Amino acid sequence: MSDHARHQDDVGAYLLGALNDLERKDFERHLRACGECQEELARLRPAADALPSSVQQFEPPARLKASLMEVVEREARVTELPRRRFNRPLAVAAVLLLGLVVGFGVAQLGDDETRTVAATVDKAMPQAGGTLDIEDGTATLQLHDMPELRGPRVYQVWLQHGDQLVPVRTFEVGASGTGRVHLRGVDDADGVYVTREASGGAQVPSEDPIVSVPL
Amino acid sequence: MPQDIRDLADEEVMQLVQKGDPRAFELLYDRHGGASFSLAYRMVGKQAAAEDVVQEAFLSIWRSRLRYDKARGSVRTWVLGIVHNRAVDGLRRSTVHDRGRETLDVVEERHEARERTDVEVGRREEARSVRGALNTLPDEQRQTIELAYFGGFTQNEIAKLLEEPLGTVKGRMRLGLEKMRRQLVEGVA
Repeated sequence: MSDHARHQDDVGAYLLGALNDLERKDFERHLRACGECQEELARLRPAADALPSSVQQFEPPARLKASLMEVVEREARVTELPRRRFNRPLAVAAVLLLGLVVGFGVAQLGDDETRTVAATVDKAMPQAGGTLDIEDGTATLQLHDMPELRGPRVYQVWLQHGDQLVPVRTFEVGASGTGRVHLRGVDDADGVYVTREASGGAQVPSEDPIVSVPL
Repeated sequence: MPQDIRDLADEEVMQLVQKGDPRAFELLYDRHGGASFSLAYRMVGKQAAAEDVVQEAFLSIWRSRLRYDKARGSVRTWVLGIVHNRAVDGLRRSTVHDRGRETLDVVEERHEARERTDVEVGRREEARSVRGALNTLPDEQRQTIELAYFGGFTQNEIAKLLEEPLGTVKGRMRLGLEKMRRQLVEGVA
């Protein structure tokens, strides 16, 4: 059976979100190379997109907006500083615009070849923190109180080189919440970042970093 | 005199959101929070759970706002897609038994949204039209689409629930969407 024959009936299920993760990734891989399925997807999409309109409409409670805006306004204030520091294309800006800064700070110890840089950690992990110890182009990223990930997911480290984010390696923290990752090639990197990815790692980050060490 | 942001189109509001403007984000919520809450409530069936879904979805929208690409669809479709994905995640973390209910729990303090603007009146019309399109589908196609989209069930789960071959379930989803598309886009019943 050809790849197309195997996948042509998945278009509806894909649009309705009825494929499991493996099936979805398999279909998306096929879709990238199949004009016929792309066309069918575009043709049927308006029907799937209309489905939310069919539900009875209710007024959300005011407390929902209040709690949402409290978080957003707080994050908008702390985003101001990092936003001004970067002037890069959108994709990288998306990665760098954390706005989630807790304890943003850089501590340089010793000379240029040996230094320790504090990590910026997602606000959603208030206990977590860490440092990047750099010595002669190699570095150790040490993190503490990181949540243990549920399901087949891992933490992944990325090095930023200009506009590129290069996947480095994945790691797990276990019940202790501590992670220790040795890195090479940090001396010419512009930053070290951590995201949560599906087991096996990713080629492009699927979320904004939850740990950030701009260099 | 600066233009009132309430006069801006969604795509222009989204540009301000992408610059980190919380007032623009608030406007985005004002415009689409109701539809988002209603979709989440239709899917998860409980008010508190629906609030959690919407809160998570909108925080995700705020934090990943640079990922919005207008070439890929309207702001509203993008927002509701994120809400839908969050609700599906929530449903799939719960048990199939919990998700099997078709009758939604009765919740306290739910109020019909008010028709305040021409836009909302237009949306009521659209809702009637989409409901009409859904209701004209053969029962088995409508049921399959609803189990998938609103119930968060995978095609394999639906096949087991309905005791039908997987191929039949796939076919119903595709044929049902095709029939809806013809009605909504081409006006053909």
